[in-house]
Amino acid sequence: MSEPHTLAAPADDLFTFWPRHQEALYARLESKHAWLEERHGLGDGRVHDALEHEMTLNIGPQHPATHGVLRAVVKLDGETIERCVIDIGYLHRGTEKLAEHKTYQEFMPYTDRMDYIAPYAYNVGWCLAVEKLAAIEVPERAQWIRMIGSELARLSSHMLWMGVGLMDAGAVSVFLWAFQAREDIYKIMDEIAGARFTVSHSRIGGVANDLTPEALRLIRDFVDRYPDIINGWRKLLTRNRIWMDRNVGIGVLTADEAIALGMRGPNLRGSGIAHDIRLFEPYLKYADVDFTIPTRTEGDSYARYLCRMEEMLESIAIIRQCLERIKPGPIRNDDGRKAVVSKDQAYYSMEGMIQDFMYTSEGVCPPRGAHTYAAIEAPKGELGFYLTSDGTGQPFRARINTPSFANLQGLEHLMEGAQMGDMVVLIGTVDPVLGDSDK
Amino acid sequence: MESLKFHFTPVDAARPNAVNPHAQPTTDRPEAVAMLRDAFGDGVTGDETYAGETTVFVAKGRIAEALQRLHADGYSYLADLGGLDRFTEDDRYEVFYNVCDLHRGRRLRVKTRVDESDLHLPSATGVYRSANWFEREVFDMFGLVFDGHEDLRRMFMPEDFQYYPLRKEFPLLGIPGSLPLPGHLPGEDLSYDPFPAASSPTPKSFQEPEVSGE
Repeated sequence: MSEPHTLAAPADDLFTFWPRHQEALYARLESKHAWLEERHGLGDGRVHDALEHEMTLNIGPQHPATHGVLRAVVKLDGETIERCVIDIGYLHRGTEKLAEHKTYQEFMPYTDRMDYIAPYAYNVGWCLAVEKLAAIEVPERAQWIRMIGSELARLSSHMLWMGVGLMDAGAVSVFLWAFQAREDIYKIMDEIAGARFTVSHSRIGGVANDLTPEALRLIRDFVDRYPDIINGWRKLLTRNRIWMDRNVGIGVLTADEAIALGMRGPNLRGSGIAHDIRLFEPYLKYADVDFTIPTRTEGDSYARYLCRMEEMLESIAIIRQCLERIKPGPIRNDDGRKAVVSKDQAYYSMEGMIQDFMYTSEGVCPPRGAHTYAAIEAPKGELGFYLTSDGTGQPFRARINTPSFANLQGLEHLMEGAQMGDMVVLIGTVDPVLGDSDK
Repeated sequence: MESLKFHFTPVDAARPNAVNPHAQPTTDRPEAVAMLRDAFGDGVTGDETYAGETTVFVAKGRIAEALQRLHADGYSYLADLGGLDRFTEDDRYEVFYNVCDLHRGRRLRVKTRVDESDLHLPSATGVYRSANWFEREVFDMFGLVFDGHEDLRRMFMPEDFQYYPLRKEFPLLGIPGSLPLPGHLPGEDLSYDPFPAASSPTPKSFQEPEVSGE
């Protein structure tokens, strides 16, 4: 390892942060192979004239349409994006490194901060991964509760995508409706977990607390009201001329491209690949409920819109089935070495207190050398945790495989050849969350 | 004095045949191991199974070929690629490839080990286009160099950063002076220390801050 270099003193007139980084980024933009130039060179009617038309534009990381701290450096030929280099990492917090220094249960709240749009699904993903690593069984009721929470998270995420996506395209009212709807989900989360945003409700071996009658009432009410509301949105948008003009034929990904680029979730399903972890590797109780995976073959931005809207209705159908089939019972594994004991036991019994103490300080210890990959279908696609254990209470290595990271890689490809005016729609259609991609 | 080591759960080694309640049928792939052994002979250095998940170890030099073979066999989707620091004398680093066959519902983990003395290994970008950013991430976090990768820049950290944070010897708090950051007050000079409070030799005061306005 080399010595830390000392930065050259910035020039008086122009100061640049991280000069080497900027230099490498722009050098990449220049050296990148541009398939668009090649196509123009082949003489399909257009003559490529670089003179006077080229422009390098830096979008983000503070631009509001980039949904966070996404930075795209594009080279424009007139209005056409010729090359695009995406720079991420502005929200990098070293989550994987942090995980190596926490017990498995201690790390769970950090997963809230990854995809902060759908934290419940990430809690569940982490807990399922640890349960697989340590072979911990989960009571049925907890699995149903987790499913309800995960599907609510999916609804919340897709609603945010719809709201901000339409706001980017110019329809501010849909943004307000979507946030009104998300407020209802927040109320449910508040009732389920005691927190609106960073829920941290799932525990290794179960969930923190049971659903209250009020929470069940709120969920039932939500499930009854929302199919009509979502259908209302679809009625407004699906044949809406402006929305169709902005989306049909924009950002087309063929099935082969989507697989080669490693796209995930609705971005993959919009291109005709019916890949969903809920079907591919059914976790929780997804094998027992009846639902379909909405898939479109067009592969454009509009197809992804249709997939997500249908997925919202499917999620509501899944929640409805969960509510029908959920039975009273324990909500957490009863073994004090595998799951955190209830507060009643911790406060009023000696064994419970000892177990609580040991669980907090040492926690779950999976066998030495165990390594497993557990994936869930997060709202944005496959979310996987590849955990390696060295037999202690802290993961030796926690690899977090996030959907937004893979999708953003595809965005670079989608942008090239697109019109500058479509850039905002394309970012919206890929649905990135930078907390998720940057870890 | 020998320190007493107490473990809440006795540390036992992972048993390959233990029943796991969460095992998935997609990941148990003995036929893929057999296929790779047939095709590569000594190139396949081992395989193991835990929780119904098959892992194949392939020699570093032949990893791109092995992935090409798997790609031709239907494992056309790269779900994950990452690095791991085993912190051992030999074969310190490990790179894992998680490949899927979306049509037949199969998932396989391929691993290759990289010794500290030679951090180069072949890039998988020729086989899986999506390996691009994942390999950049491994380069950023572990410093492994993927030969044949056309754009091996850091993924998350800026190029000005010269360490590899996920290596085991890298401290959790970071290295003071490794990243220039803006000062804490407007007009202040650049601070070269991302963690001034954590790494300062003496705290300003051990007293709790006084409550003002009372």
